[in-house]
Amino acid sequence: MPTSRRGFLRLLGSGAALGALARIPAVPPAARAAARPTAGAAFFQPDETEILTRVVERMVDTGEPGAPRVADTGAIRTIDALCASLDPVLTRPLPLLLRLVEWGPVLFDFTFTRFTRMGDAERDASLRAWMTSRLRLRRQGFRALRNLAMLGWYSQEESWAALGYAGPLLGRGGER
Amino acid sequence: MITQLGERGGDLVERADVCVIGSGGGGAVAAAELAAAGRSVVVLEQGHHWTAKDFTQREDEMLPRLFEEAGMRQTSDGSVQVLQGRCVGGSTVHNLCYAFRTPAPILRMWREEHGLPELADDVLAASFARVERHLKVKPIREDEVNSLNRIVRAGAEKLGYSGFVTKHNREGCVQAGYCILGCSYDAKQSMLITYVPRADAAGARIYADARAERIEAEGGRVRRVLGSVVDTRGERRGGLEVTAPVVVLAAGAVNSPDLLLRSGLGGPQVGRNLHLHPTVTVAGFFDEELHAYRGIPQSYYIDEFIDLERDPHRGYVLMPIVGFPALTASLLPGFGREHFRHMRDYSKMAGLLVLLHDQSQGRVENGASPAQPRISYGLEPDDARQLAEGLVHCAEVLFAGGARRVLVPFEPEPLLLAPGDDLAAITRHGVRQGGIAIASTHPQSTCRMADDPSRGVVNAWGEAFDARGLFVADMSVFPTSLGAPPQITTAALADRTAHHILARWPELAA
Repeated sequence: MPTSRRGFLRLLGSGAALGALARIPAVPPAARAAARPTAGAAFFQPDETEILTRVVERMVDTGEPGAPRVADTGAIRTIDALCASLDPVLTRPLPLLLRLVEWGPVLFDFTFTRFTRMGDAERDASLRAWMTSRLRLRRQGFRALRNLAMLGWYSQEESWAALGYAGPLLGRGGER
Repeated sequence: MITQLGERGGDLVERADVCVIGSGGGGAVAAAELAAAGRSVVVLEQGHHWTAKDFTQREDEMLPRLFEEAGMRQTSDGSVQVLQGRCVGGSTVHNLCYAFRTPAPILRMWREEHGLPELADDVLAASFARVERHLKVKPIREDEVNSLNRIVRAGAEKLGYSGFVTKHNREGCVQAGYCILGCSYDAKQSMLITYVPRADAAGARIYADARAERIEAEGGRVRRVLGSVVDTRGERRGGLEVTAPVVVLAAGAVNSPDLLLRSGLGGPQVGRNLHLHPTVTVAGFFDEELHAYRGIPQSYYIDEFIDLERDPHRGYVLMPIVGFPALTASLLPGFGREHFRHMRDYSKMAGLLVLLHDQSQGRVENGASPAQPRISYGLEPDDARQLAEGLVHCAEVLFAGGARRVLVPFEPEPLLLAPGDDLAAITRHGVRQGGIAIASTHPQSTCRMADDPSRGVVNAWGEAFDARGLFVADMSVFPTSLGAPPQITTAALADRTAHHILARWPELAA
C-alpha cells in the first residue's frame, strides 16, 4: 500500500532515527562559518539555510557564463520569508526534509559524503536520485524543494533577463 | 463594512439573520442578494482582504496572499496541484474570467439522471441574467485577442477544429496580463469589486481573517458558527461565534466538506464525489518572441473534443494558458541545465492545456488541521486516455500554429517533439498520476445536490438534508463535473439559493 503524503509528514515528524537526525547539526561548523549570512532569516536555521542554498543552486543552474549566483540574489531570503508567512502546519516538515537531503547520500545511496560537501556533479546525481526514486515520498520531497527553488529564483529580477521576461508593469511594492 | 480581524485580534461575537461562510464566487453573491433584500448578514472569510493596491504582479508576493497553501496545495499523493483562492473574493480574484452559462445538456442531465427537476432552464435564466449583469459579462473584442490566443486560434482553424472567442467579465481591461496574480487595475469584475461591495453597501458585516471551524445544529436546525480570528499565517488571534438561523456555506469544494465533516453534518456523502476538471499542459516553442504573458491570457476556447449533446458525461476542451516564470518553471520537468534549456525560451513559449470533463472521483477528508484538508483523487483509465488524446491535439494545434518544437512535460523525462514527429508517442507513453504535472482550479461536487441523502448532501435548492437552514452555495453542489468553466454556474446557483432563502424567510426565521 502506498504511503500518503500525510504519512510521510508523520514519518518526518515522529520517526525515532530521523528525530535523532533532526537534532544533530546538519552542516559541519566550518561550512556553517563559510555560509553566507542570511540577514533577517525568519524560518530556517543557518545550517538549514546552507543546505537550502546548495539545493537551490543546483535546481536553477543555468550553465550560462555570467549568470548571477543564487547567493547574490534574494532567492533564499524569498523562500525563507515565504515559509515564515505560511501556516506552521504546512511548513513544519521542511527543516527535516533538508536534513534528509543533506544525509540522503549516506542514508539512501550508501556513499560517505554529505550533500553540502559534494561537488556539483555529485549533488546533481543525489538530487536526481530523489527525483527518480522508487519511493513516492522521496519524489514528493524533491518536488516540494523544486517548487520552492523555482519560486525563490524565478521571482528574482536578476533571473529574468536570461528568459526574455520583461517583468511586471508595476514597480517593486506595486509602485505605479 | 469590511473588517480585517487579524490586524485587530480579539474575539468576535455576532448575531445575524444569515451567516455566510466564504466570500468567493458563491458566498459573495448569496451575501449581496440577501443583504440587498434586507436580511442582516455576517460574512466570514478566512483569507485576508487584499485590494488592487496590494496586487504587485510578483509571484513571490501574490501566491501566498491569494492562494491556499501559497499555491502549493495538492492531493495527498502529490500528483495533482489544487489551486484555490484564499482571500476576500476567493478564487474569482485570480481566475481568468471565462464566463460561460451552464451547458444546456448538463442541466438536462442533472434534471433527468440526478432527480433534480427544480433546476429548470426558465428559473435559472433569471439568475444567469442577474449575475451576468453584475459581473458585466461581454464578448472579448477581436483586438483584445493576444499573441498566444491568436496562435492557438490559427492552429485550430488550420486543422478545422471547432473553437470560438469567449465572453469574459472585464471592464476597461488594460491587457497587462497579470490576471492570475490579482488585477492591479480593478478591471477584472471579480467578486472583490462587484458583489462584495454590493453586500457591503447593503449593510452586510464582512469579516476577513475569520475562520469558521464548526457549524452547530440543534434539533435538526442550524444554530451557530464557531471559529477563530486568524492572522495571515492562519495562527489563532481570538475566537468567533456567530448565531444565525440560516448559514450559507460557500468555502469551496475542499474547505466546505472539510468544515461539514468537522461539524458532524451533511451525512454520508460529504466529501465524496470530488471532481477536479484535471488539466495537463503542453508547451510550444516558436521562432519569434511571443511574450504570451502580455494581454488577456485566455480568450479562445477549443470545443472540438466535447459534445455534451451526444454524451454529457465525457469529453475535454483545450484552452490557451500562460504562467509567469516561477509558475512555468514549476510545471516543467527536471532541474538544472536541462530544465533551463526550456526556460531560456520562456518568451517564445505558448501553453495549451487540456481540461477534462472528468468522471473520475476523489474525496475530501479532514486532515490534521483545517489548513490542510486531505484530498484524494484517482484517474480512471478512460479519463487518463482522454487526457493523453488531448495532449496529442494540443501538440497538433501548436504545430499547426507554427511551433518549432513541442514539449510534453512527462516526469522525469519530458517528450520533446519536432514538426512531423509521430505524435502517437504521446499516447504510447500515456498519462498517469505522478508522471506529468496535473493541476486543478475547479474542484467540485463534494456536497452535491441530489434527490435523496443517500446520493448527495443538499437538495435542489442547496439546503442540507440533515440540518434545516444550512445551505451550501459553491461548486461543491454540482451533481457532476460541469464540463465548462464554472464561474457563472457557481454564481447563478448561489443567486438562486439566496432567492429561495428569501422566499422561505418567515419559515426559516421562525
